[in-house]
Amino acid sequence: MEKLNILIAGVGGQGVITLGKIIAQSALISGVKALVAETHGLAQRGGAVNVHVRLGEVYSPLIRKADLLVALEATEALRNLSYADENTMIILNERVEKSVLPKIRMLSLEEIKDRLREYKVLSVNADKIAVQGGNPRGTNIVMLSVMMELKLSKFIKEDVLLSLLDERNRKVYLLGKQFIKGWLYAK
Amino acid sequence: MKKSLLLGNEAIAFGALKSGISVAAGYPGTPSTEIIETLQRFKDRYVEWSVNEKVAFETAYGASMMGAYSLVTMKHVGLNVASDPLMSSSYTGIDGAFVIVSAQDPSMWSSQNEQDNRYYGLMALIPVIEPYDPQSAYTLTIKAFKLSERVHHPVILATNTRVSHVRGPVEYEEPSSPIFGKLKKKPDKYSLVPEVAKKNREEQLKRWELIQEEIKQFNEIEGEGNKLIIASGIAYSYVKELAPESMKILRISAPVPLNKEQIISALEGVDEVLIIEELEPIVEMQVKNIAFDAGFSIKIHGKDYIPRSGELTPDIVEFALKKFLGLYYEPKAIKIKDIPPRPPAMCPGCPHRSSFVDIKRGITLGGLSQTFFSGDIGCYSLGVLPPFQEQDSLTDMGSSLGIANGVYRSTGVIPVAIIGDSTFFHSGLPALTNAVYNNLPVLVIVLDNRVTAMTGQNPSPSREIDILQVAKGLGVEYVKEIDPFNLKESVKIIADATSWVKQNKKPAVVVAKRACALEVIDKFEELPIAEVKLEKCTGCTICYDYFTCPAIIPREDKKATIDTNLCIGCGACIPICPYQAIELKGKIPKGWDEVWRS
Ligand code: SF4
Ligand code: SF4
Repeated sequence: MEKLNILIAGVGGQGVITLGKIIAQSALISGVKALVAETHGLAQRGGAVNVHVRLGEVYSPLIRKADLLVALEATEALRNLSYADENTMIILNERVEKSVLPKIRMLSLEEIKDRLREYKVLSVNADKIAVQGGNPRGTNIVMLSVMMELKLSKFIKEDVLLSLLDERNRKVYLLGKQFIKGWLYAK
Repeated sequence: MKKSLLLGNEAIAFGALKSGISVAAGYPGTPSTEIIETLQRFKDRYVEWSVNEKVAFETAYGASMMGAYSLVTMKHVGLNVASDPLMSSSYTGIDGAFVIVSAQDPSMWSSQNEQDNRYYGLMALIPVIEPYDPQSAYTLTIKAFKLSERVHHPVILATNTRVSHVRGPVEYEEPSSPIFGKLKKKPDKYSLVPEVAKKNREEQLKRWELIQEEIKQFNEIEGEGNKLIIASGIAYSYVKELAPESMKILRISAPVPLNKEQIISALEGVDEVLIIEELEPIVEMQVKNIAFDAGFSIKIHGKDYIPRSGELTPDIVEFALKKFLGLYYEPKAIKIKDIPPRPPAMCPGCPHRSSFVDIKRGITLGGLSQTFFSGDIGCYSLGVLPPFQEQDSLTDMGSSLGIANGVYRSTGVIPVAIIGDSTFFHSGLPALTNAVYNNLPVLVIVLDNRVTAMTGQNPSPSREIDILQVAKGLGVEYVKEIDPFNLKESVKIIADATSWVKQNKKPAVVVAKRACALEVIDKFEELPIAEVKLEKCTGCTICYDYFTCPAIIPREDKKATIDTNLCIGCGACIPICPYQAIELKGKIPKGWDEVWRS
């Protein structure tokens, strides 16, 4: 069976771990083996976190090269570039969040995109779509719909996934789906 | 049989339940915490958060003396705290079954070191079981209990971050009914006066031989060929995925002790061996010993191919495998540079942030021009980062007071010891006793937020026991409480305490009492919110550069603005702004102050 390696990166508090859990849970119900490696434990927020999600006939908890590198915050895509190569699809949320340390200059979204020039990048304003859907904390679910459309649907049944989401998240999911369909069509 | 997506730690808990544990104790620590949290859902057994790992260990050990099935959990460094009873438990053996979970943290994701606790197994003569994924964590926990029961000896289950904090499908069965103990007294076994200990030592060595025999069942040979890979614990997951399918692999799920015959038969007909294990060469040492004694002259690779520090990764394992198999492999180096750092931060509304501001201002006002901030382990460890930089050392649980003692004795500089409430009870108590007993001039600040916050708000003894009273009872003469959000008053009291210490050359204790912010937001639906009056804000940057609540965001023009998603309306930023530009808006919910102060 084919394998799918997803690296989800973001800032603590953005729902990074929840996103990994939803994917793995729907995979299990859809009859696909899933492993999710989380490095949590510190209760504090605002730090860089990433989660490795692997689907298919997999044993190792960690990813070598990601098929999908999903960044809920744009800077975090750069921090995790060692997991990407020319085949990796990088899905970027167009948001740059400040570092919790004082007086740190963040890179602008343009600078980040510039450094990603040699990679395949799909850039989404997931925060905006989430707000439109009436759920400002639903950024991770917007990213989920994009992942579904690109690669995940081969492993996960959409109705299983939807059954795991509540009403508000379902709405955000569908809005995200519209976006990505439009994007794919435009291509 | 059920199949669910479980965290490795949940799988261990279900394994223990299936084995019939009746008593479990632990001290929270990443990555071990979820084992006790899961067990707490089952009310027909006794499960506790103990005050430290030594007490937790003795609780489970005592239960197994009575014939119960018991479990103790802690992170790897916790076993250092419990190492005293650990050594004794191996001498006495046990009556029921006793499994010690030590959750290791290679790469130090949230720990002060990455010591390899399998050494404890070699030193204490206690077998070590090492799972490689959530499913094996479940199965091996059950096997560990069976082994312990059969040989009447404690067993260490050494898990790690990549087993404990991985979610995967696990098939598991319903819990069995708990096996409690019955009062029995065996002083000739459990009272380690020299005479008993000497006899026990002999019996311990006999049990050790029996264990070397029993341990075989934990290990397995797959495939064949003249090249052998020995993979211990988590290494097996990587090897299984990356090694050619037919390769000869010896999976080791019990790295301590190895069985001589089993290793010899695995080595037979092989001309080269690669041992893959995380951290220390524990399997490697043993295999080389056995091979040497048995007269093998084959090349055995281990730490020459696999680094001794940091956790294993697919890249590391692949690199070693290719080298071993004589294949060319060049890892593609990716240059990642100049990415702005993003460490975790104290939460919006965290009382520690305010305490750090209060302490700095207070001790200066109290006449301490220079000091040593003797820190400790907890959320407040983040005070090591700018802008606070108020943790000049933090080495182990409860270290703040002891290190402060050494600093003062060698330099004469009056130190400030900063310790959390949970840590205070964990191992600060003896050190405070020592400070009183030996007259240490130190300003002790206890950051009392009612919980062990770092591991996810596990309750702390401070809910039941008043730290002020404890300090008084130990003979501390200067004891005061502050509310860290009350800047003016806190600074005054800390200044006063500082000069008292200078004058009297004795310890003073100030308890900064306010609940963990996460505790508070859990209890309210609607929160007030801070607002910056832009016409008053001068862009002085104090609130975001020197107070650094993550909810306060700088604007292009340097003025501050509040992120309404992050702000919890705690109001701590209000006294920080020298221009009174920050105000609270929205209703203060009923019971707000009580929750913060309770
Ligand atoms: S978890 Fe509690 S103690 Fe820890 S940083 Fe957050 S608010 Fe502070
Ligand atoms: S009130 Fe002030 S200090 Fe408290 S969370 Fe909001 S911005 Fe941060």
